[in-house]
Amino acid sequence: MSYLTVTNAIKQFGGSFTALSGVSITVERGEFFTLLGPSGCGKTTLLRSIAGFNDLTSGEITLDGANLRLVPPHKRDIGMVFQDYAVFPHLSVFDNVAFGLKPRKVPAAEIKTRVTEALAAVRLGALADRLPAAMSGGQQQRIGLARAMVINPHLLLMDEPLSNLDAKLRVELREEIRDIQKQVDIATIYVTHDQEEALAISDRICVMSAGQIEQIGTPQQIYGNPQTRFVAEFVGTLNSLTDNDALKAVLGQLRLSAPGASWAVRPERLGLGEADAGSSDGVVAVPGIVGKYTYLGREAHVLVKTAIGELVVHLSNPGIEATRQPDEKVSVLIERSAPMAFDAAGKRLPAAG
Amino acid sequence: MPRFNFWTGVMVLTWLLLISLLFVPVGSVLLSSLYDQAGNFTFANYQKFFAETRFHQAFFNTLVVGFGGLVGALVLGSVMAFCVSRFEIRGGKFVSLLAILALVSPPFIGAYSWIVLFGAGGVVRGGLREMGVNMPPIYGLGGILIVFALKFYPYVYLMVSGALSNVNRSLEEAAEGLGLTPWQRTFKISFPMVFPALSAGGLLALIHAIADFGTPRLLGRGYNVLATEAFTLYSAEVGSNMSMATTISVLLIVVSMIFVLLQRYVSRRNVYHGNMINKPVRVRLKGWKNVAAHFAVYFIGLCGAMPVIVAIIYSFRKTNGPVFQPGFALQSYERILFNLGDVVRNSLTFSVGAVVLIVLVGTLIGVLVARRTNLNTALLDGAFMIPYVMPGIVIGIAYIAAFNTGPVVLTGTAAIIVLSIFIRRLPYMVRTTASSLRQISPSMEEAAISLGYSPFKAFLRITVPLIVPGIIAGGMLSFVTAINELSSSLVLYVGRTMTMPVRIYLLILDGDFGTAAALSTVLLVLSGVAVYIAFRFMGRNEQALL
Repeated sequence: MSYLTVTNAIKQFGGSFTALSGVSITVERGEFFTLLGPSGCGKTTLLRSIAGFNDLTSGEITLDGANLRLVPPHKRDIGMVFQDYAVFPHLSVFDNVAFGLKPRKVPAAEIKTRVTEALAAVRLGALADRLPAAMSGGQQQRIGLARAMVINPHLLLMDEPLSNLDAKLRVELREEIRDIQKQVDIATIYVTHDQEEALAISDRICVMSAGQIEQIGTPQQIYGNPQTRFVAEFVGTLNSLTDNDALKAVLGQLRLSAPGASWAVRPERLGLGEADAGSSDGVVAVPGIVGKYTYLGREAHVLVKTAIGELVVHLSNPGIEATRQPDEKVSVLIERSAPMAFDAAGKRLPAAG
Repeated sequence: MPRFNFWTGVMVLTWLLLISLLFVPVGSVLLSSLYDQAGNFTFANYQKFFAETRFHQAFFNTLVVGFGGLVGALVLGSVMAFCVSRFEIRGGKFVSLLAILALVSPPFIGAYSWIVLFGAGGVVRGGLREMGVNMPPIYGLGGILIVFALKFYPYVYLMVSGALSNVNRSLEEAAEGLGLTPWQRTFKISFPMVFPALSAGGLLALIHAIADFGTPRLLGRGYNVLATEAFTLYSAEVGSNMSMATTISVLLIVVSMIFVLLQRYVSRRNVYHGNMINKPVRVRLKGWKNVAAHFAVYFIGLCGAMPVIVAIIYSFRKTNGPVFQPGFALQSYERILFNLGDVVRNSLTFSVGAVVLIVLVGTLIGVLVARRTNLNTALLDGAFMIPYVMPGIVIGIAYIAAFNTGPVVLTGTAAIIVLSIFIRRLPYMVRTTASSLRQISPSMEEAAISLGYSPFKAFLRITVPLIVPGIIAGGMLSFVTAINELSSSLVLYVGRTMTMPVRIYLLILDGDFGTAAALSTVLLVLSGVAVYIAFRFMGRNEQALL
């Protein structure tokens, strides 16, 4: 049996709004598990149900085999990191971190060593005696992290801990969170709406939408092999292909078919060729004209108008010679493995051929 | 869950409290206005009210002083707020202090100080007469309106200056860029932005002006309003007419309620949440404009604080009986020390008692309202609006009507005065607690719970320390209003339970202004200390005084 299991979780608010409609997940010991989805998808509700702050309408939660729903939240031994940090402003950094050790009746000497270690782990050792009020968001969240870890919880929950920080700090701190989690080896559930963050940090990702699970898998599976159109669009970007005779011809050349499907392709899976580029085995060249060229430094986005729709092509590491002018004739190169087929309900179809 | 039961208990007790201290007394007022002296059900009181010219006139006069006071307060308050928040005024803090002084000054003393200066035998008037200028005495409607404008302008000033310094400057700059003249800018951009604050401050001025009893009583000289009529009917030695007094009380409540609802309706759409990236700056004026702005601000401020200044000066004047003599002495204070110690003690014990109750009960209810929002707490929040608009004299009469006979007889006790102060000020404490709680993220308590503290302990260890400064500040401000409370105590007191404001009122009626001034100074010092403590705990926040 898995370490944490949530089975068929249903949560209704006020009888009319269903935040979770039958969600089941499992988390293993030491695993970094991420709930990813847009706001309102139910990810925070699920996290708070595990923490015990809202009870489920129905469903089961077990931790290490024990029914968690019977345990009041303060006895669950679950560490939590909050989006707004929730650092106690009237306590010093040291006392904030030591706060959770006091009800556990840890002797004073041990509190001192454990808090010192935890603060060193989040690189706040020098600020132990300060009050947190004047500290930066990044520092406050480090306090939050140390405070949740120091009690050696059975489970660590993080509710969008980085979303109030600026971009650079977000990347820096997420690496640290990842390293520290691996070091202490505590099963962690992490909630975010930032797909890049989820991909960077997770062992497994659960993509949610409208109270339901879209797909659970490793970052590679989620990004490289999305099982629904929602996942493909939410994690990464997607070009929809217009369903017409030109598309049929392209698919025919690539020997792909899926009856009744709508097709899409990721921009970075496309290539850009000269106007006279010919098709070869497994690669089709679709002629078109450049609509817009956007230079972003490490990559460039080229919008190409073709017979199968307006396609965005991502070019990585673009040099000065890669620049295209509007109305320039080019062709878009599509590999056989690039197009993805989805049915009317958004489920991924096997692209046989 | 035990927590659920605890808060359900608080909820039930709160409703019981409201029913016994508010709904029953106010209800009995309502009812007794529907019965005649013999105890028969009748609408005769209302018919009489609308038939008799005397009551017509009082009703009309109440509206006149209400709106006159409102207009005066709006003009003075907005001029001062505009100058202080937009121009560099030397000693701006001192000006704010003058406004606070006017706000916390003991009631009555205002009207009487103006009589001392501009009354029939007024000092200033006498001086002017010697120079050949004959000015009419300050009595009558004109005097009431002047005193109201100077007494209630701080409500508007404090509200509007807060709002004006929160208007994002970019908005005005944008309007400037679009080609609006400064005048258009003021009326099309700034005015709508501060309208909610302006109307809220104006409402406070209006409600207080309608409820004010002391000023028309001393200055009116025949200009009667509902509050004075109610008191006259209640206190007439011969032929005291309770049912007519309660009829007037009901009408006073209705008038106040209508204005509260009107203000809410008018300002319902005007809530702007600007970002504060671009704070307004104060302009340094030059030449005559600078002189004019300084003159306006200091003139309003000093006139508003004049009664207090006069009272303090007169409290140190030498007296012979009630007659002032040249020179200064501490006789007035000696008289307080030797004859009026029990009055000071009464005021202190009643106020402290009421404040302790207010803090304990108000905090619990505030937590309930802020943290357990549901239909019930929303109703509770609404019910607390009632004491907010209730004129003090009405609460007094209601308490007499409810606790004179029946199961609980409290007439003549200290308890009835403490309870009347308690119920009137409780809503402020509830709001203070609720708003300071709403500023604390609930995740703070959740963090403590996840760290192993039970919900109750988490509340105690995290939330309580964070709201304590707000609670102390709220308690101190309640103390200020409690110790200055006059109109309900005037109805409820008996010889043993006389308080300082009541004594001041009686001293003024007796013509002993020296002792009255000294007693007022003592009151002012006590209020000042409380305000100082409050500001120490929550930072300087004049708006909390409202």
